[in-house]
Amino acid sequence: METMTTGSPLPRLELRKISKTFPGVRALSDVDLQLYPGEVHMLLGENGAGKSSLMKVLFGAYRADAGEFFFDGEPVAIGSPADAKRLGIAVIFQEFSLVPHLSIAQNIYLGREPRNRFGLVDHRRMHADAAAVLGELGLAYDTRMQAAELGVAQQQMVEIAKALSHDARVLVMDEPTAAISDREADALFAVVHRLRDAGVAIVYISHRMKEVFDLGDRVTVLRDGRLVKSMLASDTKPDELIALMVGRSVGTAYQRRYAGKPGDMALEVKQLRTATGVNGVDLYVRCGEIVGLSGLVGAGRSEVVRAVFGADPIQSGRVEIFGEEVSGGPHKVAARGVGLIPENRKQEGLALTRSVHENLLAASLWRLFPKGFYRVAQAKRATRELIDSLRIAPGEPAKRAQFLSGGNQQKIVIGKWLSAGCRLFIFDEPTRGIDIGAKTEIFALIERLVEEGAAVLLISSELSEIVHVCDRAYVMREGTISGELPKDRLSERNILALAMHEEA
Amino acid sequence: MSIQNPSRFLLNHVGRLDVRRHASDETAALVYRIVLVGAIALALTIATDGFATSANLLNVLRQASLMFLLASGLTLVILSGGFDLSIAANLTLSACLAAGAMKSGGSPVLAVATAMGCGASIGLLNGLAVTLLRLPPFLATYGMLWIVQGLAFHYMGGNEIFGFPNGFRALGTGFWLGVPLPVYMMLIVLIGGTVLTTCLNFGREIYAIGANPEAARLSGIPLGGRRIAVYTISGLMAGIAAVIYLARVNAADSAMGEPILLPAIAAILIGGASLFGGTGTLLGTLFGCVILSLVIDGMNLLNLNANWQPMMVGAILLVAVLADALARRQRGRAH
Amino acid sequence: MTTSQQQKGLRSTVRRKRPLPSIVWVSVALAALAAIGVPGFATRGNVSDIGLQVAMLVVIAMPMTLVILSEGLDLSVGALLSLGGVVLAQTLAMGAGIVPALLAAAAVGVLAGGVNGMLIARLGLPPFVVTLAMLGIARGMALVLTDGNAVVVATPAVAQLYAMSILGVPFPILCALAAWALTHVLLYHTKFGAYVFAIGGNREALTLAGVKAKVFHVAIYATSGLFAGLAALLLIGRMNAAEPNAAIGIEFDAIAAVVLGGTSFERGDGWLTGTVLGVVTIGVLRNALNLLGVESSLQVVSVGVLVLLVILVDSLRKSRFLGAHA
Repeated sequence: METMTTGSPLPRLELRKISKTFPGVRALSDVDLQLYPGEVHMLLGENGAGKSSLMKVLFGAYRADAGEFFFDGEPVAIGSPADAKRLGIAVIFQEFSLVPHLSIAQNIYLGREPRNRFGLVDHRRMHADAAAVLGELGLAYDTRMQAAELGVAQQQMVEIAKALSHDARVLVMDEPTAAISDREADALFAVVHRLRDAGVAIVYISHRMKEVFDLGDRVTVLRDGRLVKSMLASDTKPDELIALMVGRSVGTAYQRRYAGKPGDMALEVKQLRTATGVNGVDLYVRCGEIVGLSGLVGAGRSEVVRAVFGADPIQSGRVEIFGEEVSGGPHKVAARGVGLIPENRKQEGLALTRSVHENLLAASLWRLFPKGFYRVAQAKRATRELIDSLRIAPGEPAKRAQFLSGGNQQKIVIGKWLSAGCRLFIFDEPTRGIDIGAKTEIFALIERLVEEGAAVLLISSELSEIVHVCDRAYVMREGTISGELPKDRLSERNILALAMHEEA
Repeated sequence: MSIQNPSRFLLNHVGRLDVRRHASDETAALVYRIVLVGAIALALTIATDGFATSANLLNVLRQASLMFLLASGLTLVILSGGFDLSIAANLTLSACLAAGAMKSGGSPVLAVATAMGCGASIGLLNGLAVTLLRLPPFLATYGMLWIVQGLAFHYMGGNEIFGFPNGFRALGTGFWLGVPLPVYMMLIVLIGGTVLTTCLNFGREIYAIGANPEAARLSGIPLGGRRIAVYTISGLMAGIAAVIYLARVNAADSAMGEPILLPAIAAILIGGASLFGGTGTLLGTLFGCVILSLVIDGMNLLNLNANWQPMMVGAILLVAVLADALARRQRGRAH
Repeated sequence: MTTSQQQKGLRSTVRRKRPLPSIVWVSVALAALAAIGVPGFATRGNVSDIGLQVAMLVVIAMPMTLVILSEGLDLSVGALLSLGGVVLAQTLAMGAGIVPALLAAAAVGVLAGGVNGMLIARLGLPPFVVTLAMLGIARGMALVLTDGNAVVVATPAVAQLYAMSILGVPFPILCALAAWALTHVLLYHTKFGAYVFAIGGNREALTLAGVKAKVFHVAIYATSGLFAGLAALLLIGRMNAAEPNAAIGIEFDAIAAVVLGGTSFERGDGWLTGTVLGVVTIGVLRNALNLLGVESSLQVVSVGVLVLLVILVDSLRKSRFLGAHA
């Protein structure tokens, strides 16, 4: 690995052989990272590569299982957010930690308000200090404004100012330009440059190639929790970076047994627009095929399927299900034979405090009992069949759903829709948080569905999943479809290229 | 040994009484309640003279039945994850209107219809406020409480109405086969309500909505319609309870419902329903009503100053809410 | 992204003056309407009557603002007022002076409020149920202590205090002003006040900043109880007696005043002066309706309708103001 530096010999913060494991998943393996002061260090990798885990370890939210930290050459421990704070490590998260109806100054100094001799808050000093901090970033906000009155980009600047006011020497920024316009991004870059010139070591997570090369001094690529390569930005090109990010992932090479034979049109989406960030999407899914919907986190994939399912309101556009236009809430859409297996299965797919039996019936009560009279024996027979055919374990119908593993919980959600006679299944990250064995079972299940004539739309952030499981795939970027890949052009590289803001 | 963390200690020891791994452990919960009823009854038999007489026991049963009529509708609302603070005021207004109807010459049948209509209308308005105006349930029903109470005050003008036809009064005070009539009403509502919650799709959907409204919505259950229905039923039950109360006390005034709100809520919580929704049964609520009626009866028999009762009920409610929250935490943690 | 956002300066901002909440116009309009349309309203005696009537409401509406800002509710203040009055009167009857008696009433209030706060903040129980139960307990306790009867105030000092005027300002109004001033300082000039906004607006921000949010959350309810205990002086001063069933429903007026004044139930947005204006509005409304012969039961309905209207109007205006930015 290369160790060329741009300036000072000693990294401000160095990570050596950092590893972090969760049950069933290795989030980080032997990662080395050197953050030099006065450098913008870009962190790249596809979803699940380990970027956010690394960030959390830096911040002290996760405790590393193995590995060491060195600050200015001295060994240190980062076991909690307080440790990180003391060292001067600050993270700007995507969900801001601002109080909406307090002023900018109050927000920056929350918890350490300056006091006057009466013990009351010294407003003059607080506002002056806040203005000074903002001034260091080249900003001239009126510090009396409430956080709620600021736009997203401005709130982000305030967050940065807050970190700076804590004497941050290492600043981690997670996709700061994700929710702001290009003009605002330029202002942000100016601030980043100022910070860099002031000697702050900046870690910048981004998916936009343009940013990587405009802003970055050094680039590190992660893949599957491992460090792939670290180099100067001037020594590399976008194509090389994409090639490094992509690669044969370990263990998820699923083989399709059944080649899809497309039948009737199940879903047609035309010019869909929503207030949640969908900016004109067209796609279609036919019975008998598994269609992938890929893209990076925040591209708008979940928003599309939620709108299709009626969970979010549609601003404009058409959704046609099995040939007929549909509008209205989930109960109307579900009645047409559509089922959504949501991204957030614990909060949105299951009632955790209810039994397996009750969860399996949640969508099919009126199909099983059209007159409205629920009969226990018949219901139990129906769920018994589902439990057996889906191999839900443990096979106790009365067990609370919260006590089943992630994979089995997912099977319950799928079973819920099977019981409802669903013919169009929409999966949103179905294998997230599920171990390898269960993943294969889920894929086999999905294949069985299309074999029996259903249509499947599959959202996944794991590129290999899309490549191996789907018949074809759409790639989304910033609210629109950036491309469609038929089977012969379906590769991880192509997906990533379409997914990233590539303008090299 | 000192207890370093009192709340954790409480959680581990009290909560463990209620470790429910299987949803079917609702039966275990009912057993606890039956034991509690037995224990209280035993204690009162020993401690007082007049407890274990058939007259007293039937009276307790009558009181519990009256409480249950009101609490049954609220149970349904709580099961669906909502709340209704207005049921007592609802009862007051419905009873006053029914009394007024009879006083101006109407038949008891008209009075019953008036009460039920009034009750159901108030319930419907609550349901609309919660679904259409998206007001939080406690807020919407709290406002409704004051509006309905104000209307009752206005209608009664500070007076009482009393003296109703014997046929009507029998509904509250009468017996059949030696058992007070309200008990039969209670049984009808208990059976009907249990059928609704266990044998109708509607009932299953209510539990689903209470357990996780978003998951229920994304499973295709129409939240709005179900919620409106549930609040309307609650209002209707308040109207029915109003009739029986009116018949029992033979007088209507604008404050008659007020002392019943807290006991009803406490009874529901003691019965095992959770304020957070999705858990509970009507049978449980009935046991809660019985337990609370026993406690109140005991206080009377022990010659405890009547002034102590509101405070006791408030304290019992607080303990019940506490137990509910602890049980919920324990449920979430038990593995 | 809207064009107004793109046109905004990103390196500098201009602070747009937030539009005043509707209560400002509503209170003025209502007062004007009453002065013109209601005979007997615009007299010196009547106006000072209104002042006396709302003084107590101001005192308990001040901490209620804090409670609602923190996304909570305190239904027990009316009961605590009544209980405080009973404790005050009985302590006086035992021969104690006014100050010790007040301390006793305050202690009861703080205790009850503290219990509310512990259950709500540390155990996460829903505020309306907890304070509802506390309401029952407090009313019950007042009944037990007085056996259902009113307690006459033993010393004439209380009535004298109540009728007193300093520099032409009656004592109750002085109390109201003091409560307002104190709460204003608390909310806008101490860190406690900032934390109140944070508890309602973004609790995680406090924990991230290393602040023990729960302690301050409990303190909010304790303050509500404290003010209720102290305001009991005004309650019994008027009638020179303490009744266990006094001040029924005053919590509804307090909540209505806070909401009228622009404090919302979520997101920690509020305005203390608005609460005062809200109290004045309710006082004016009730007084005018009284003079018009409308009974108090229907007055409550009118207050409720007014609150609904103001909520609707304010939320529409707010979403337009913020929508231009967001």
